[in-house]
Amino acid sequence: MPSFPPQPKLYFSIIDDVIESIRELFLDEGVPEGVLDDLRQLWESKVLQSRAVEGFAKDNLNPSNFVLQLPANYPQTLHKPTASVVIPAGRHAQSFTAKASNTGTIATFSLPPGVTYPVQIPAGVTLQTASGHLYKVNVPVMVTQAPECQRIPPQTNQSLIEQRNRPPTVIHKIPAQVTAPGPQILPVPQASKPVLPPQDQTQNRLTQQPKIPVEQSTQALVPVTPDTSTLHQPSQSALESSIEFTLDGIEFSPQPLDMSVSSPFSMQQQPRGLQGELPHMQMLEFGASVQDMVERAVKIGEESGALSNTADTMSLLPDLDRMPDSAGKLEGLLMDYNFNELDDIVQLDGTGDSSSEVGDEEREQQRREEEEEDQGAVGENEFLGMINAEALKALQGAGESSSSCPSSDGDEPDLEEVEEEDPLNSGDDVSEQDIPEIFDTENVIVCQYDKIHRSKNRWKFYLKDGVMCYSGKDYVFSKAVGEAEW
Amino acid sequence: MAYQLYRNTTLGNSLQESLDELIQTQQITPQLALQVLLQFDKAINTALANRVRNRVNFKGSLNTYRFCDNVWTFVLNDVEFREVTDLVKVDKMKIVACDGKNTGSNPAE
Repeated sequence: MPSFPPQPKLYFSIIDDVIESIRELFLDEGVPEGVLDDLRQLWESKVLQSRAVEGFAKDNLNPSNFVLQLPANYPQTLHKPTASVVIPAGRHAQSFTAKASNTGTIATFSLPPGVTYPVQIPAGVTLQTASGHLYKVNVPVMVTQAPECQRIPPQTNQSLIEQRNRPPTVIHKIPAQVTAPGPQILPVPQASKPVLPPQDQTQNRLTQQPKIPVEQSTQALVPVTPDTSTLHQPSQSALESSIEFTLDGIEFSPQPLDMSVSSPFSMQQQPRGLQGELPHMQMLEFGASVQDMVERAVKIGEESGALSNTADTMSLLPDLDRMPDSAGKLEGLLMDYNFNELDDIVQLDGTGDSSSEVGDEEREQQRREEEEEDQGAVGENEFLGMINAEALKALQGAGESSSSCPSSDGDEPDLEEVEEEDPLNSGDDVSEQDIPEIFDTENVIVCQYDKIHRSKNRWKFYLKDGVMCYSGKDYVFSKAVGEAEW
Repeated sequence: MAYQLYRNTTLGNSLQESLDELIQTQQITPQLALQVLLQFDKAINTALANRVRNRVNFKGSLNTYRFCDNVWTFVLNDVEFREVTDLVKVDKMKIVACDGKNTGSNPAE
């Protein structure tokens, strides 16, 4: 069936037509022809990456996705490889492409006649796929043939392929140094090892790769193919395993630390004698889960029993936007209420506005002054963080005068009445927000109609020249007849 | 002037993204990009009219319908698309259809 999904020929023919029709336009505008080629390559790569066109590998009799086109003056010399790549090629790859016929994500090489393995690809060589796509090698690459023992077992291979589900000409197996013309690829140093050996032991091997090359190759791979999740999972697990941190004595793999966030803490807290632990605790918030941080915060609070520690633990909460301000404000509040232990961690969300930090600081200062005077006026609007039960009670007791406090006794009857009224009327209104949501869907047909007929609640559609996008795949039709009941 | 309807397809969106990238890098002007899109409209209209020859039937339940500016918009649920022997089932499908009798004068979308 030619249109389910459409053959790539139709789309590429449209691309060809458009490119040819705009060639003169570009020349008239004085745009270099290289730009036109760039446009074409970008367009084609996006179409292929979008999964809209499938079955391309099936039509391709050549099992290799890439034909290595070397420069005319390429000498087949065996220099010491700066990076080694093992890519299954030729007949060995047959099983790959056959199973990946619907996904076709494995990139394979076929060598031009007269060239044998291993092949060193110097920088600047352009690799051309069977479909004509060009990929430029930025750094020298050595291509060797995979030995027999490294063939992937079919089951593993198939599971990996099923997970990928990508058009065939997208590069997966090309080492990290290969770049596509369109996307921006991070340059990978020559000394790095690629992450793409044959996959029978891939999962184990990738985790055993050196950490830094894994990171780099992971970074390099991501822009090339968006759907490299299976390859990246072992890489990411390697990354995660390299990130080690413990509460005591804390070591962790270097991660970008936002000193602008953490420095206020260190400035405030160091005099309190927590110099050794504090920076690490602050850094924990970048890597640890919320639950872990809360548990550790409880431990810290119980162990130290000091006010500074509780402020410390509060700093662990993943509230990065508020940290610089809330720590200071929190100090003031906690000092006022003078509690020493965290028995119950009660998280109180800010009830009031939290617009600008600058305004919050000023208001906080004013509030502290008021609190000292009034002995207990509550500044809930700017308060974010943890507070224990005692402080909560004190807040509630002191907050009677505050109109913003929702739990005050005087307001309760009014709230109850409002709550009773709302359910009665809430269902009557048709929200305007629902209407756009009805029409929001990923499955769309764009077409033209010859006739739309309705009889009572039975509708009949006579459509033509349509393109249907369903689950990311494209289908086309010249005529469509449908009926539906409303 | 052909319908601009097909710009919201994979092919059209990928073209627009590519043009946006070239505009960002100042390799082309926005006016030139617009010209390219107009050429795309013509090319895809012609291709669909001349190079595609297949027929599809579908059946489902109509959730909503809208007719505005000579453009029908339907949302169907539980639709089955049939082409000869193949069957595709879709939970929710939106159809945007322009007037096929008057293709030249009213560009849509």
